[in-house]
Amino acid sequence: MIGFISGFFVFVFAMFLQWWWNAHFSYWGAAPQFLLVLTILIAARRGPILGMLAGFGWGLYLDVARAELFGSSALLLTLAAYFVGVARRQIDLRAISPLAATTFLFSWAGFVGLGLLGLVFTKSFEWSGWIAVLATPFLNVLAVVFLSVLWDAKEAR
Amino acid sequence: MQRETRIANFVLGALSALSLLLLSLPLSTPVRSLKAGAGYVLNPLAYHGEAGYSRVSSLPSRIKQLLLADIENERLRAELRRGEWLATTVSALALENERLRRALVLKPAAGRSPAWVRVMERDPIHWYRSLVVDAGADRGLSLNDPVLGPRDGRLVAVGRVVDVRPNTSTVLLLTDELSAAAAYLSSGTLEGLVQGQDGPRLRMNYLNAEATLSAGDSVYTSPTSATFPPDVLIGRVAKVNPRDPFLTFQSVEVSPAADASSLQELIVLRAKPLEGEAKAPAYVPVFPPVVTPVAASTATVVPSVSTAPPVSTTARPRRRAPAPKPAAPVEDESAFESVNPEEAR
Repeated sequence: MIGFISGFFVFVFAMFLQWWWNAHFSYWGAAPQFLLVLTILIAARRGPILGMLAGFGWGLYLDVARAELFGSSALLLTLAAYFVGVARRQIDLRAISPLAATTFLFSWAGFVGLGLLGLVFTKSFEWSGWIAVLATPFLNVLAVVFLSVLWDAKEAR
Repeated sequence: MQRETRIANFVLGALSALSLLLLSLPLSTPVRSLKAGAGYVLNPLAYHGEAGYSRVSSLPSRIKQLLLADIENERLRAELRRGEWLATTVSALALENERLRRALVLKPAAGRSPAWVRVMERDPIHWYRSLVVDAGADRGLSLNDPVLGPRDGRLVAVGRVVDVRPNTSTVLLLTDELSAAAAYLSSGTLEGLVQGQDGPRLRMNYLNAEATLSAGDSVYTSPTSATFPPDVLIGRVAKVNPRDPFLTFQSVEVSPAADASSLQELIVLRAKPLEGEAKAPAYVPVFPPVVTPVAASTATVVPSVSTAPPVSTTARPRRRAPAPKPAAPVEDESAFESVNPEEAR
């Protein structure tokens, strides 16, 4: 029960954090994708099922703000959680470096995936802009390192 | 592990199918309903988050405002204490004045009860003639109640009530051609009649033909005025008209103190306060004290202008159709202005 409540709190707090950062600390479209980072982190630490469920919910939250392509973020975060879940059988994603590399990779994959979904469903490549594409993966790496350290510290306690 | 993989594959299939359905049918009713539902559940997060954030971020300025309000509160309290003392002094003077009036067997001045009103409506075609205020019989307004307006921290003459309806009233401005008020010049004891001209300026007639007049003099309501309390500023002399050899009096152009274009809140000096309201004692100055060099509040020895014929607003011919017509007949003719003090009394 306590786990469910704390999980729900994390779920809501993550959305709030993403909105807050986007609204007040985002410059030229570059901001860490906390929801993607947390999806990857949960899938790496708790398995793909929980990661997919959380990612789908957070994706819907991101999609609500979109004028079109409703469901794209939900699909991308679900896929990210699944593939991280598959990858964690081969790679030790508890270590910082592989986790950072995976996050970096999935960040770019996310931009490409979003563009392709736009191409398929709206006949135009959904381009997020050079600054966002180039800067966001690095910000995501910083975020995942920070959150991973935080997670480990909490578990150690 | 096999079981977890199977479940993961199943969840992936289900969520991916749902996502693709949402992507492929964005305009279908179920998808729009789902989007609306998700928005309903999730949008409050951002909405309340923003409200909370702005509340927290504005905390320093709120604290600053609180401190400033506290300082202002202290200042206003001190001002209020001074005001209370002033009110006590004024009340004592009013009582003394009333006693002296009785001793001199003078008619006691009517007590007035002030009421603040807002300008509700103006007719652009008759800009200098009348306006409608948001108080009527419900607030105790009655015909010929004088109307004053604030200007630079003091109250100045604006007009009088000519039409009283249940919730609204029409105020005839001093600048209307039917308006007239007995007045005097600050430079001497010269009395005259200030009349409207349907324009931005007033005209003061019936001034002594031998008097020396100069621009810049202040014009105040006379104690002989039947409508206005005495010593209320009307305006300043803007221009002295050249003497007309065929007239037995002089006249000046007066620039009114009340700016017709910026009137928003006015004060009506009600003759009859509402039931339950304390009736003001006779001649309570409801406006800030005005420094008057001559013709103080003793309405006793004001020389009549012998060269001027007694003129009242009722007798003046109209040049064109009136804008505000009184709804009810005027019961007391003495309520109208007259240059003859005897007639006014």
